[in-house]
Amino acid sequence: MVTLSNEPSAEPSSPRALKRRNLGRLVGRRPALAVGVLLFAVLPLVANPYQVYVGNLALIYVILAVGLNILLGLAGQLSFANGALFGVGAYATGLLRLDAGLPFWLALPVGTAITVAIGLAVALPALRLRGLYLALATIAFAQFALWTFVHWDSVTHGTAGFVMTPVDFTALGLRTTTGIYYLSLVLAVLLVAAAYGIMRSRIGRALVALRESEVAAESIAVDITRTKITAYTLTAVYAGVAGGLFAGLLNVVVPESFNLFQIVLQFCMVVVGGLGSIAGSAIAAVLLIGMQEGLRGMQDLQEIGLGLLLLGMLLFAPGGLVQALRRWLPGWTEPHSRGEED
Amino acid sequence: MRTLTMTGLATMTGLASVAALSLMAAPAALAETGVTAETIVIGGMGGLTGPSAGLIIPQLNGVQAVFEEANAAGGIHGRKIVYTKQDDECLPSRGVGAVKKLIHEEKPFMIVGGGCSNAAIAQKPEVIEAKIPWVIVASTADSLTEPVNPYIFTTMSAAWMEVYGQLQLALDQGKTRIAVVWQPDAWGKARLDPMKQAFKAKGIEPVSIQEIAVEPTDTTPTVLQLQATKPDAVLLLLFPKAAVPFLRDAYKVGLQPLMVGGSPLGEIDVLAKGVGSPDSVKNLRAVTAAGYGVDDPQVAKWKGIVEKRFGDRFNVLHMYGISAGQFAVEALKQAGPELTREKILQVMSNLTVKTDTYAGPLECKPTDHQCHKALGIFAFQDGRVTGIGVTKPTR
Repeated sequence: MVTLSNEPSAEPSSPRALKRRNLGRLVGRRPALAVGVLLFAVLPLVANPYQVYVGNLALIYVILAVGLNILLGLAGQLSFANGALFGVGAYATGLLRLDAGLPFWLALPVGTAITVAIGLAVALPALRLRGLYLALATIAFAQFALWTFVHWDSVTHGTAGFVMTPVDFTALGLRTTTGIYYLSLVLAVLLVAAAYGIMRSRIGRALVALRESEVAAESIAVDITRTKITAYTLTAVYAGVAGGLFAGLLNVVVPESFNLFQIVLQFCMVVVGGLGSIAGSAIAAVLLIGMQEGLRGMQDLQEIGLGLLLLGMLLFAPGGLVQALRRWLPGWTEPHSRGEED
Repeated sequence: MRTLTMTGLATMTGLASVAALSLMAAPAALAETGVTAETIVIGGMGGLTGPSAGLIIPQLNGVQAVFEEANAAGGIHGRKIVYTKQDDECLPSRGVGAVKKLIHEEKPFMIVGGGCSNAAIAQKPEVIEAKIPWVIVASTADSLTEPVNPYIFTTMSAAWMEVYGQLQLALDQGKTRIAVVWQPDAWGKARLDPMKQAFKAKGIEPVSIQEIAVEPTDTTPTVLQLQATKPDAVLLLLFPKAAVPFLRDAYKVGLQPLMVGGSPLGEIDVLAKGVGSPDSVKNLRAVTAAGYGVDDPQVAKWKGIVEKRFGDRFNVLHMYGISAGQFAVEALKQAGPELTREKILQVMSNLTVKTDTYAGPLECKPTDHQCHKALGIFAFQDGRVTGIGVTKPTR
């Protein structure tokens, strides 16, 4: 049975339970996330530019994974369009800067709005499709998007992509790399907090109801169409922001950055983190980017490692990292996560 | 509160003096990143894993072979070269991280690497920001070296050069009905546009421009369409995976005009094996960066070294790396024992080097960092790939 409450229900009474609760307060989700934010905040002060770059990449993937989790983990929509939407966000922001001459500060929100518009176009057929058919339709969209990136030369600059000038943060007294890093951190924190807000809201409960059973959700007056569109819109917002930041981080946008491997990577982050768990997605994003970088030059090991991680999760912690965290850390709760069932 | 005694003060002063003297005693050369009294760290990056690894690893092995030979001969002014490589998987998204890791963790004096154009384009701003001399081994995109950047040099033929050479070869043989076949990826696109410009510059129109997939299984429809235009020459902007089925199907339908490929088709003997008949490549010519066939005596020394050291089958890809390595070694020698980045940049800006694997010398000028000028022309004759000429394309 699914727990829809936002906080743990059991009230500890024994000294042992009280001790566990106090430990939980210390090592629970909120303190852990706070420590994570603190570590990311000080990273540019103590790390070299390469390590800062990896941290920045991790923050962008935190946004992506948390956004995908809303659609996949919370709403239960098996959509493979997120890699392509990530690309749309990068292309839209990049092209607005390069060809329309917009400053990054304007190009990022406008690029995100374009991503949302295209995300909604994906949502329309998805309203009538479920499961395998939805998966196939969204894979087709992802391939179509990649084809467009490659072949619509007059707009996308084709296979060679395009290079932009670095984003200027001198008004804030920051170098480009530091500026884009802290912008990513601020947006990641805001969007993770927003995701928790959504989960706790009526929308979040509607998404979970949709995930569990469309028929049952309709019977309790959940508007299925509106809820699905909301889920796709929210995920597109996250993908658009992440794509814009990605373009700002690399200063180059090329089609092969948004191929099928993107989808695999993002799905792994959500599954390893735990379907429906925001904190799990964020932690898994950081872990997987760290693993990818740590195993640079060992692509075979990367693939084997990713496979073993997925297999291990499915066998020993099907609820993902968050399930393991809840088991080991008594104070760790995660509203609406699939792991809450067990 | 503790009072500072005279003894303590004397001890501290002594320690500070020793520290200051130690710093002053350090030779000036040690101040340059990546250079010590015994070593010079040189970085390299390329697709060491992934689908392009088979093309990139031999190139970087060629570079390493040259550095190891230089080390065995006593090093450069007594310093041994330490060659350290990072994998960029030939992807821009991975390439930025690779070059950042190389620059900020390996801290090389200079870079000799880069095999895929898109990854190199993404890496270029990082190299420029870090002000590191970069000798490009095999990335061919014109935008890497045009306009000239003080830190970037290429020992590989630029993308425009080969296509101009291919067209010139066809025109020199009196061909007038010339067609183009290309593969739709970044590499193919980077050549198709200069090829169109080359046609325009000569005042002629291609009779047909056909696209085939990067890894096709059957190209018969394309070949038949091409045959209908009656070309007397076909310029191939293809890698072997596309060229082999194309040559096979062309041979099958009897389309046998002059065909001219670029560097990726330099191993004509391998193509003949792939197609299954030497006759299928009898009209194929390859205009390549390399100056010699793999069995030519001029490269026999390097063939032996590479095959013994790495267990590779020696090919033209090793030749690109060998020339890049020899260029870097000569620049390091000419920069002298007091090695700085500024010095080596000055040297490379006016460097002319005749390497062992290219047809002509690498010639760099302050206004031209595309140092490779002379391309080899190859054919498959008497069961082996044979050099039949040299061309120096101009725009």
